[in-house]
Amino acid sequence: MIRTTRRKVLVASAVMAATALSLSVMPAQALSPRSEVGVTSTSIKLGITLPLDGSAKYGYNQLPGAMKAYFAYVNANGGVNGRKISLVVKDDGYLPKKAIANTQDFIKTNTFAVMGALGTANNKAVASAVNLGKRGIPSLFVNTGFSGFNDRKAYPTTSTLLPSYIMEAKMMGKYVKETYPGKKVCILYQDDDFGDDALVGFDSKHGDLSFTSQVAYPSLSQGVPGVPDSWVAKFKAAGCEVQIIFGVATATLYTVQAAAKIGYAPKWILGSVGADIPSIDPRTVPYIIGATSLSFMPSVVDPKDEYVAQFKEINTKYNPGAKFNSWALIGMNTAFVAVQAIQAAGKNLTRESLLAAIDNSGAKFASAGLTPLNYSKTSNVGYNGYWFGTFNSTGDLVPNSTFTYTVYTTDSGTGDVVKSTYVRPKMPEKGLPN
Amino acid sequence: MRTTSFKSRAFALVSTTALLATLVVAAPAHAAATGPTCDGATPVQTCTGTTSDGALYKMMVPATFNGTVTIWSHGFGTNTNIPAGLLPIFPLGYPIDPRPEIAPAGSAELIKYLTDKGVAVMGSGFSTQAWNLDEAVKTNTELVGIFKTKFTTTKKVIAWGYSMGGGITQAFAEQHPELLAAAGVMNPVDSWASQSKYLVDMLWLMKTWFDPSIKLTGYAAGVAGDYQMISDLGKYLLILQFLSTPANIASGAWPATSSASGKALQAKGIPARSALLMIGRLSGISTQSSTFDGIAGPATSALTAWPLAYAPAYGTLENISGVLGYALLGARDMQSKMGGISFDNQKTDYSKQLSDEDRTVYNAGMSGNAAIVGMLSTLNPLNPDAPRIKGDDAAIAKSASTMYQNTGKIKVPTVMMIGENDPVEPAGIVQRISDLYEVDFAAAKAAALKASQKSARYTAPVRKLQVLWATTPKTWSKFTAEGNPISITGTPGTGHTNFSTAHYKTLIDTMLSAADNGALPWGGAQLSKVNKAKNLKIDRDSAYPWMKFYS
Repeated sequence: MIRTTRRKVLVASAVMAATALSLSVMPAQALSPRSEVGVTSTSIKLGITLPLDGSAKYGYNQLPGAMKAYFAYVNANGGVNGRKISLVVKDDGYLPKKAIANTQDFIKTNTFAVMGALGTANNKAVASAVNLGKRGIPSLFVNTGFSGFNDRKAYPTTSTLLPSYIMEAKMMGKYVKETYPGKKVCILYQDDDFGDDALVGFDSKHGDLSFTSQVAYPSLSQGVPGVPDSWVAKFKAAGCEVQIIFGVATATLYTVQAAAKIGYAPKWILGSVGADIPSIDPRTVPYIIGATSLSFMPSVVDPKDEYVAQFKEINTKYNPGAKFNSWALIGMNTAFVAVQAIQAAGKNLTRESLLAAIDNSGAKFASAGLTPLNYSKTSNVGYNGYWFGTFNSTGDLVPNSTFTYTVYTTDSGTGDVVKSTYVRPKMPEKGLPN
Repeated sequence: MRTTSFKSRAFALVSTTALLATLVVAAPAHAAATGPTCDGATPVQTCTGTTSDGALYKMMVPATFNGTVTIWSHGFGTNTNIPAGLLPIFPLGYPIDPRPEIAPAGSAELIKYLTDKGVAVMGSGFSTQAWNLDEAVKTNTELVGIFKTKFTTTKKVIAWGYSMGGGITQAFAEQHPELLAAAGVMNPVDSWASQSKYLVDMLWLMKTWFDPSIKLTGYAAGVAGDYQMISDLGKYLLILQFLSTPANIASGAWPATSSASGKALQAKGIPARSALLMIGRLSGISTQSSTFDGIAGPATSALTAWPLAYAPAYGTLENISGVLGYALLGARDMQSKMGGISFDNQKTDYSKQLSDEDRTVYNAGMSGNAAIVGMLSTLNPLNPDAPRIKGDDAAIAKSASTMYQNTGKIKVPTVMMIGENDPVEPAGIVQRISDLYEVDFAAAKAAALKASQKSARYTAPVRKLQVLWATTPKTWSKFTAEGNPISITGTPGTGHTNFSTAHYKTLIDTMLSAADNGALPWGGAQLSKVNKAKNLKIDRDSAYPWMKFYS
């Protein structure tokens, strides 16, 4: 008995010594098994990197304010399990190297998790250079629809929120074929991963939409004087009747301006990423009135949507002076989902328990989205559907005059595009998840 | 960091690089061992002599010698003696210099730092230059014996070196762990197979697109070959000069010497800067350099576009400038040494060398997917305008059978240090060793735990590798009011062997601690020391891409 005890002590001591050695280069906070980096008994520290400056800032720079507003609202109501959430915001200018530096800063400064990081290139660069997956650091609800991030093996700690660009293209294909049968359809798309995803979604195995004319533009070329004019001239010469733009907002902006110059007036179908040109310049609203686009969130001007109403109220109080628009809605909803994930992870919050909570309970989280969240142990996919609408005279996307949504859903594979039967959970009382 | 005008910086960089590279050279072969002859001076006496292979050596031994000696291995030296006045960029030529080196660049401060601690220092000039791992390990082995015979109180030997000397040190530690108490390996060369792929891919791609008249392989023997190589070097420099001109970067113009394939790409509207960036991505050259961070942009409308589209190409160019001298001298030397071309890219699929991440992150800089596909298509092995290098079987076989290939195994406590954007020895060289070591260490831990179940005693394996990554500032690029980049030299984490004195002292202290205690220091004091050195970090989860040879 004594010998057994001594042996146990010896082994235990040696293991402890070895563990101490291997952990000796980690932050002191990590040495305690009951604590987690970025989490104390009273606080949780999150970080977000996205463009607040530069040509890609428009719209996206409104996300952090809305997220912080929702966290402030939750904090004012006791926080999550007694912990107040803080969100550190860093500007990356849409530059991968800066996103890497920002994320390294988050790690150095003991940030629990990153969330809402924006851009396919930035997220790929960070995943590779900072190795979030190997470190076990959650990258929650990345702001990109690139389908590659749904590869859980490559991105084990990443979760997406937006429907993939493949899904979007598939639904767009179905919509265009049903709405404009026999019309000449043309497309302008960005010549990178973003556009690649779209092309997959439109191909014969997916959305099966063919084009009379197509132009792939290298990123940044939209800002070169004369270039968008050449695109539009080509489309006009081809007799395009329906014009899809699957690009960023500046590409949409310069294209519709170039079109106006030569009287090119097709039916515009604008992808979700690049539709919001009024964020760049409010004077451009007239350019998109009547144009079609799509969204997975309710219309921000929907007078009967309880989520919109609640978030708008929070925005007024905790994000004073900031307009409640589609960006504010998305930002607040992202924070709302994050709070539920943190809550589901329990009182002993760890990075591991947070990721497990999303896997195990994420599909049941309440959200403003009109399609379900698809998280599971085998899926890090968020939303999987869209509704189509048109821009009204204030530049807001609306489904129709009665705000009745026809929501479509699909996957990033070859599954059909079908009408969604999803019934959205009711907003928790006062917008505070239980 | 120092800022200057960016004009002609490419030339200045190459000149500096080559000058540094050629300070040491082949010594007369097969002289009998001599010495050591000591001057008996105090407080530090100096001893000199020659090893049996003719390498000149030097020892500095303090009167307070505590039994520990360091053996330094210097960096790459050329075997080509470039005469003065041959090239405007080398006005003084590159004289052959067989002098021994006993510390980084012979630093008197670091030598004193060691001898003040009672540590003796020594090193040689080696008998063979350029790719000399095998010869240098033999020289070092002999030199350790000579020192121990002369100074019989010697207890511990620490090997250290940078660049080629880093590779020599690693090879020394792998082959003779019984001689060493610790090792300091700084920005080491990788195995020749890996290193030659890195260097020759870059040279071949530049030749293929920008000037097919460059010879690159099949140099004549002797002085005639020297002149051919020097002529090539001049052509590469002209390319870099052309591409570094801001007007050409902006317009995307290709050099007039470009190949038909290059001109076809130009006709498609693909700027030369995109091709330059592609060359860097296919070779594995960092896009961040002393001047260009890929983060800061001019305070103009190009705030976002500049770092995305231009900075990666400029950074690649600056880094190519920094490695070009080594690349060409090394490639030529290996052809001489192996009696033929020991590199072959006939079956290389360059399209597979563009990583998915690079295709995305540098998409705008490479002008989009269509341009990427267009550029890669010209590198098709069937394109007669892009003739591949056919290696000589005998030379390749000789290379494989006679040159030591680092295993990356860590057998003695080792501290490694490397800049995260070193253009000559990319950080991925150390990343690979680190990754392989983590696998070995995990296996050792598992084995120790298994053994403890039988013996009831757990003996934890001792971690034998610590990597010090020399890192960049957060951002460093600067621009004139007109939006033109301002040249900066010496940015931490960039350039080759660009370590501060504080970095070196941290490495020295770590080596000494490991030698004294039999284990590397990992505690708070070590972390504090690393932090105080600035632009230095310990990070086991780092993820610098491995050399392309391993992909």
